[in-house]
Amino acid sequence: MRVLEVSDLVTGFPAGRERIHVIDGVSLYLEAGETLALVGESGCGKSMTALSILRLVPRPGRVEAGKVLLEGRDLLSLAVPDMRNVRGAEISMIFQEPMTSLNPVARVGKQVVEAIRLHEKVGVPAARERTLELFRRAGIPDAEARLDAYPHQLSGGLKQRVMIAMALATRPKVLIADEPTTALDVTIQAQILELLRELKRDFGTAILLITHDIGVVNELADRVAVMYGGRVVEEGDRSQVLGEPAHPYTQGLLRSMPGFATAHERLAEIPGVVPPPAEWPAGCRFDTRCERVLGHCRSEAPAATPVGEGHRVFCHAVASEIGEAP
Amino acid sequence: MSEALLEVSGLRTWFPIRKGVFRSVVGHVRAVDGVDLTVRAGETLALVGESGCGKTTVGRTILGLEPAREGAVRFEGVDLAALAPAELRPYRKEVQIVFQDPMASLDPRMRVREIVAEGMRSFGLGKNEAERTERVAEQLRRVRLDPDAMDRYPHEFSGGQRQRIGIARALAVEPRLLICDEAVSALDVSIQAQILNLLSELQEELGLAYLFITHDLSVVRYLAHEVAVMYLGQIVEHGPTEQIFEDPRHPYTRGLLAAVPSVDPARRSAEPVVLGDVPSPASPPDGCRFHTRCPEVFDRCSREMPEVAVRGDRGCRCFLPRATEA
Repeated sequence: MRVLEVSDLVTGFPAGRERIHVIDGVSLYLEAGETLALVGESGCGKSMTALSILRLVPRPGRVEAGKVLLEGRDLLSLAVPDMRNVRGAEISMIFQEPMTSLNPVARVGKQVVEAIRLHEKVGVPAARERTLELFRRAGIPDAEARLDAYPHQLSGGLKQRVMIAMALATRPKVLIADEPTTALDVTIQAQILELLRELKRDFGTAILLITHDIGVVNELADRVAVMYGGRVVEEGDRSQVLGEPAHPYTQGLLRSMPGFATAHERLAEIPGVVPPPAEWPAGCRFDTRCERVLGHCRSEAPAATPVGEGHRVFCHAVASEIGEAP
Repeated sequence: MSEALLEVSGLRTWFPIRKGVFRSVVGHVRAVDGVDLTVRAGETLALVGESGCGKTTVGRTILGLEPAREGAVRFEGVDLAALAPAELRPYRKEVQIVFQDPMASLDPRMRVREIVAEGMRSFGLGKNEAERTERVAEQLRRVRLDPDAMDRYPHEFSGGQRQRIGIARALAVEPRLLICDEAVSALDVSIQAQILNLLSELQEELGLAYLFITHDLSVVRYLAHEVAVMYLGQIVEHGPTEQIFEDPRHPYTRGLLAAVPSVDPARRSAEPVVLGDVPSPASPPDGCRFHTRCPEVFDRCSREMPEVAVRGDRGCRCFLPRATEA
């Protein structure tokens, strides 16, 4: 069953008289209990997709078209108070920087208690009991004492554990994790990834994982959607996208990772830079940096080409290759 | 193996902790606490560690930006700490630094021309303005930027291009050693590959030596000839790159390598090996600094500090280093 289904999402910002669509026709779905990784480099629109789902796009930007269905209910047409009840209760989010997402002048236990009591009719002692249970579940050592700690008294890894406990306190259907381990050291990152794997198994929460790190994708995701220039360019199972990438951008991205290169061998580069949204090409967005560019790449946006069971690619070159084959 | 260009021995850099009305010193943050390392001419030494281990402070102390409490920094055998400021000046030209954040390390109100020429002017390189302009153009070509870029401001460039400007600035005074402090950590992977390739080309062209300070182990394998792993102010293991990766002997090195997420879709990493958080460098644990997180700890570790046992070109600070498997 699909818990979350995003279709043809368009989010735009005004630029002079025109509007720039930083999200341009993104469609995604999330099955119950699965983890979908949304991967891409800075500015590709992955975080903006998450903010659009939660209707938190900063002004003057706004969602202009599309549907966001949470168990069949369109979030984009909900009244504001109803949407407020969705956020934090049915869809929770954890952010990259746990320091800036916790209130520095409130004890962390109280912040989680507050989050629970905002969405459910429970007394403080019961909510506190549940928070303690969540802290233990999130692997916070000496959990009872930590309830009364202030954020600055906790390390980065512990703060992220508090954030995860808070996000799961209301048993959400969907957890959006935006670069949850990017600010952490590798040994701490490994601990948090292990925690997320355990929670996924025990709580069955569907996770939309936003990251630029292919390693994190590989550790956590069931399916992967690769974004470039406000669009999804490739989508499929983890093993398909990472093992048999079909889009020239995905291929370039994987080849340029130092982890794939052996010592002192030249790394594969993707030439050029990501153009700013105002200069995005009219056709395929990757057109300016692609080595397999064809005549109509510049003018026409590519449609989805299936290359395997549930594996789709948006590329003219791949489409023509498959079209030519019998 | 080429000769030693820079030798650091017994380096200690401590920061005082002051308290009370009289700002009396109540303790020290032992950021660097007895570090030995050698950078060879034309080669790359990677200094690897997690946040707060003191790797950046090592770089800053070598540059003379922090005073050393103890120990020596020798450039071609000359102890820099023993020199008077005037005698030190020629050596400042020999060692340059490239910082992590190219936005914060370039003056937004200076044109690229001024940024690159500032060091030349300070060291009296180039007889007149015309000659300096020619040299700026040469540096920009060297980092694969169009010399026309010299009349523009930093904000007009992308992150990768700004990092190229930072490298051009450092190279402008013809140093022999470049300290790269997380120089590619803020860049997207496809851009990171471009900069890493550039650094390795420059090393070949100019015979530069690099002290490459980073937390990212995957980058190290590609670039470094030798690796030194740092934990809480000390080097815990050092040796030739391939040996460190293939046969890590210190439990911390092994944990660090195990914590790097796998990018191979056929393989996911096992459970985290190193648990808990890094202790504070203001009150490092007695005995081995790593014993509070070590999976192989035994009673001696909490009482005695192991010395670095050197065997051949490798060294390891552990009572129970894993023996080389035959």
